Amino acid sequence: MKRFWTAVLILLFLLSASLWNGWYVARFAQQAARQLEQAQEMAKQDRWEQADELTKTVFQQWNAKKFYFHAVMRHQETDEILRTFHQVLQYIALNEMDQYAAANTDLAIQLQLLGEMESAALENVL
Amino acid sequence: MFTGLARTVILYFLIIAGIRLMGKRQVGELEPSELVLSLIIADLAAVPMQDYGIPLISGIVPILTLLCLTMVVSVLTVKNARIRSILCGRPSVVIANGKLDQREMARNRLTVDELMEELRCQGYGDLSAVHYAVLETNGRLSILPYAAQQPPTAQDLRLSVEEPGLPLLLISDGHLLAQNLKLRGYDRNWLDKRLAEHGLHHDSEVFLMTVDQLGKVVVIQKEAPA
Repeated sequence: MKRFWTAVLILLFLLSASLWNGWYVARFAQQAARQLEQAQEMAKQDRWEQADELTKTVFQQWNAKKFYFHAVMRHQETDEILRTFHQVLQYIALNEMDQYAAANTDLAIQLQLLGEMESAALENVL
Repeated sequence: MFTGLARTVILYFLIIAGIRLMGKRQVGELEPSELVLSLIIADLAAVPMQDYGIPLISGIVPILTLLCLTMVVSVLTVKNARIRSILCGRPSVVIANGKLDQREMARNRLTVDELMEELRCQGYGDLSAVHYAVLETNGRLSILPYAAQQPPTAQDLRLSVEEPGLPLLLISDGHLLAQNLKLRGYDRNWLDKRLAEHGLHHDSEVFLMTVDQLGKVVVIQKEAPA
C-alpha cells in the first residue's frame, strides 16, 4: 500500500504543479500583454521614451522567468517571443509607429496564446 | 504541462480499453496495463531525446504519470476483484469437460489453428486428452488433462521421495561462493574432499558446482580453452 499512496501522491503533485503552472503562465501573460498595450497607447501619444521604458520592463520580467518558461514550454514558442521582443524594441527606437503597432500586437497575442496553451482547459486537452 | 498530464491519463485508459477489446490473444505474456506501459513509454522517452526544441519536462511528466498510474492500477487490481476483471479481463474456459466452447473461442478470437498449436506446444496431440483448457488473462492457454491422462506422481505410486530442496551454487566459473558454502553448513575441507572425488584440486578448475539440501553434489569441470 506504501507504493500505492506514493504513486497517488506523485499524481496529485503533478496535477497541482500543472494547474499552478497554467495559472502562473496565464497571469504573467495577461499582465505582460496589458502592459504592452499601455506602451502602445503611450507611443500613439508620441511618448516614445515611456513606451520604450515600459516595454523594456516587460522584457526584463520575461527575461527573469526565461529559464522557467524555457523548461516548461516548447522552445520554438519562447524563442519566437524573444525574437518579437527585440523587434518591438527596435521599432520603438526607430519611432516607426505602424511597424511597432503590428509587432507589439503580435507579441501581445503570442503571450496570450502562451497563457492559453498552458491553461487547464478542455479545449487544450482535446 | 496540464495538457500533457490529462492526455496521458486519457490515452492510457483508452489504450487499455483498446487492448482489452482486441482480446487476450493479442496481449502476449503481459497484463493489458503492463503492455500499454511498455508500448507508450519508449515513444515518450524518444520524443524529447530526439527533438531538442521540446522541453525535457514534457517527456518526464507523461512518463511519471504512466508509471504512477500503472502502480495505482496494479495495486487496485490486487485489492479489488471487480477492477481486476475490468482492467485485466477474466480467464475464459475454451474447453470444458472435453468439449470445445466455440462461442467462447469466437469471443476471444481464438482460432482452431491457434488452439491446436497451443495444445501441441504443451504436448497434447489431440483434444481427447484435454479435460479443461483455460485462456488466461495474459493470453496463455492453461491445459488440464483428464486424470487418466496425467503422468503419475510419486504420491500416486505410493513412493517415498526425499525433498532435495533448492540446490545452491558453490562454485561459479572458478569462483567460490563462500556464503553459500557456509549457508549449507559445509567448510573448506568438505569442499576439497568433494573436488578430489571428481579428480579436481582447485576451485579454478570448476565451471559449476551445486549442492542440494540432501548433500547431492553436481560438479561440471571447466573445459580447456580452445
